[in-house]
Amino acid sequence: MPHVISQTPKMAQSGRPSGLSTDENISPSVTRVTVKTAGKGEDFMIADNTSVRQFKEKLSAHFECQMDQLVLVFMGRLLKDHDTLRQRGIRDSHTIHLVIKSKHRSRSLAHSSQNLLTKDPCHRNRNTKGNSSGVHQLASVSHTPVESALPVEPDAPKVHTQDLEVSNPDCIAQMLQNLSIQQLLSNMAPVRQFISEHPDVQQLMQQNPEVSNLLDNYEILWQTLELARNLAMIQEIMQIQQPEQNLEHPLNPQSYPGLETMPGGDNPLGRSYADCNDHMLNSLQDLFGGNPFTALLEGHVLEPVQSSPLSPPQPQERRDQLPQLPTTRVIYTSSCGLSSITSANVAPDKVNHTSSASTTTISTKDQSHNWAIQQPAGVPALPSIELTQQPQAEDKDATTSRDSSDQKLKDDPQLSDEQSSSQITGSMVQLLLNNPYLAAQMMLFISMPQLSEQCRQQLPTFLQQTQLSDMLLALANPKASQAILHIEQGLQLLATEAPVLLPWVAPYLWGLGWLPSPSFSYPDTVPWAWDVPDMAEPKGPECCHKSGAARQRLQSLAGDSSHLPQAPEIRFSQQMESLQAMGFGNHHANLQALIATEGDTGAAIRKLKRSQGF
Amino acid sequence: MREIVVARGGCWGACSAGPPFPRPSGRAWARSPAPYAPHPRRPPNLYPVKLYVYDLSKGLARRLSPIPHHAGLNGKQLEGIWHTSIVVHKDEFFFGSGGISSCPPGGTLLGPPDSVVDVGSTEVTEELFLEYLSSLGESLFRSEAYNLFEHNCNTFTNEVAQFLTGRKIPSYITDLPSEILSTPFGQALRPLLDSIQIQPPGGSPVGRPNGQS
Repeated sequence: MPHVISQTPKMAQSGRPSGLSTDENISPSVTRVTVKTAGKGEDFMIADNTSVRQFKEKLSAHFECQMDQLVLVFMGRLLKDHDTLRQRGIRDSHTIHLVIKSKHRSRSLAHSSQNLLTKDPCHRNRNTKGNSSGVHQLASVSHTPVESALPVEPDAPKVHTQDLEVSNPDCIAQMLQNLSIQQLLSNMAPVRQFISEHPDVQQLMQQNPEVSNLLDNYEILWQTLELARNLAMIQEIMQIQQPEQNLEHPLNPQSYPGLETMPGGDNPLGRSYADCNDHMLNSLQDLFGGNPFTALLEGHVLEPVQSSPLSPPQPQERRDQLPQLPTTRVIYTSSCGLSSITSANVAPDKVNHTSSASTTTISTKDQSHNWAIQQPAGVPALPSIELTQQPQAEDKDATTSRDSSDQKLKDDPQLSDEQSSSQITGSMVQLLLNNPYLAAQMMLFISMPQLSEQCRQQLPTFLQQTQLSDMLLALANPKASQAILHIEQGLQLLATEAPVLLPWVAPYLWGLGWLPSPSFSYPDTVPWAWDVPDMAEPKGPECCHKSGAARQRLQSLAGDSSHLPQAPEIRFSQQMESLQAMGFGNHHANLQALIATEGDTGAAIRKLKRSQGF
Repeated sequence: MREIVVARGGCWGACSAGPPFPRPSGRAWARSPAPYAPHPRRPPNLYPVKLYVYDLSKGLARRLSPIPHHAGLNGKQLEGIWHTSIVVHKDEFFFGSGGISSCPPGGTLLGPPDSVVDVGSTEVTEELFLEYLSSLGESLFRSEAYNLFEHNCNTFTNEVAQFLTGRKIPSYITDLPSEILSTPFGQALRPLLDSIQIQPPGGSPVGRPNGQS
């Protein structure tokens, strides 16, 4: 540096004594600069023409170090002693970085030695046991609990599969309680995506292709995930159902060898399901293709559902009484699926309770899921919450025997006795009721495939978190479920009696937040035979689509299958004819029964018989 | 200040090293085949400084954020969860829950960066830079100082970038925590997020090996 000759006329004398205080002779302007060192910043007042060297002298006195230890950096450039601060462009309020070098010049060696040490830390980091060594994605936070449940590979090739720092269940619970999370978790497509991307699941899918079908059915995903949360219940049901299988169904448990090999494949539900008629088989096959999630989560003691406070002994008892076969309806109708799983897992050990339980389950489910739930007309008080209630005797007798799997499908809303399902669905209902917005959103997301398709593909699996526990609690509230039931009934009634009014309900739903703002457009408006599609627009021109969307939603709310927004008359025309032929003359009642039973003629018949007092 | 723009014997870029030294009339400066400058003493070396940006959500955030937006929960579009590191002197430096770490560029478990931002160039030598990092690691960026929202990898990167080049990192990165916290979603997640610590595996700690001041 001494050989560098500055030609700046303003160059300060290098030999100048430290007179860096303000008011030097030449230019009276004073500059305040900030010197940052080791993260701290201090202000210095210097004269404009201060040279770097002078500044360093000042700093060395201030920081108590040698001048040659000081290195000043400004805008990435090292400041040489001969320069002046002004020369380097340092103006008022600029920041100069200072590095105080250590006296021992061993940095370069240290660095190279650091590189040599790289292996160990890397290795250590990769074999992460501690939570802090993992990279936690923000998005993966919620599904880390699942990750911890799943057999996490120690090498954790994927960043997001490492242990989550937050293992505190309170944090998770707190997060889960939030409306947003629960809403996000309501989307099944991301759940499916997440699950299917897991290597264990992929391996499972290779073993049994049914699993892929399983994953395609979002309801089943929901169900199995919810079921997996209640491992104890699952095990109990399986145990209970085990002996029943031999009694109930001719189906040999070994008839599904594929299930045996799969984790959770020996679920008696799957075996019992083989006995179902084609109708059920088609719908439930995937469900019982296995509960891989159960197996995956086996080793993980999931937090008990928050609904567990609901009298545990009774749920136990109820579970015993649950029917053994799920219902197609259940699958279709309960997007949450929890109840359906429950019903599916029900073990029939008592004749009396079985059918009643099944119907109860169904009805519970219907009631607990206001979206796409077939609510038969005249459903009485919600059973889901009535955990303490005894199985209604009248229903027990009234319901058909359980020898026919078909009969398990009977939708008897009057039964109020599904406990295990109610335990889950009850809390679900409760949660939904406590958060109407959430309920609305969930309904929309689930029942509006077109709308939610895009959303479904985007969410990660927050569902693992048993976020529905709050929802289940909400569902458990009898009054809440009853309210939902009433709403559903009302909508259904409205749909059948005065469909023209449904679009007018839409604004109310919008106001409640039940319907999303009509920013999307449905490609096809309601095929319903409404003759007032245009008249019903309370809003602007794009209301046609909104209205159609609203109508579609309302239809599903009113009880149509969430996947088939067709007019019930059209869908059930065939069944209606058969009902008529059998002698059920009340067209309206027939239609309602069919709507409630999703087109199941047998169930509708039973329903009509019951309602007509046979 | 005189800016030397002339490519003086292979000096890249603008060397604002001060007044031009006189033509090597009396001195024969050996032009070493250094990549950046003929001689380290002459127009100082300029080392490029790059910012490696990783999206920890791997694109999920961008796809997810419309969902709460549709639901009316989050009005902002979240483009990504950014983790950044500074690459200079052929090394990547970043700050995590384990303190300041370094590794070969792209050598963390995150793999190659999702984007690379050119921060500028610096005269700071490697030795000096390591000194600087050591002092930072003992003061401002200790491992226990890590906080996902307030004092994270991007804070470190911003600090280092300013030291090296005087420039800050793009604002969309530094604004991320406040952006998240301004949404109800982020607020709800806050207790959970606060306890999260990110440490991309693959780095080795940077510190004074001998522990002297």
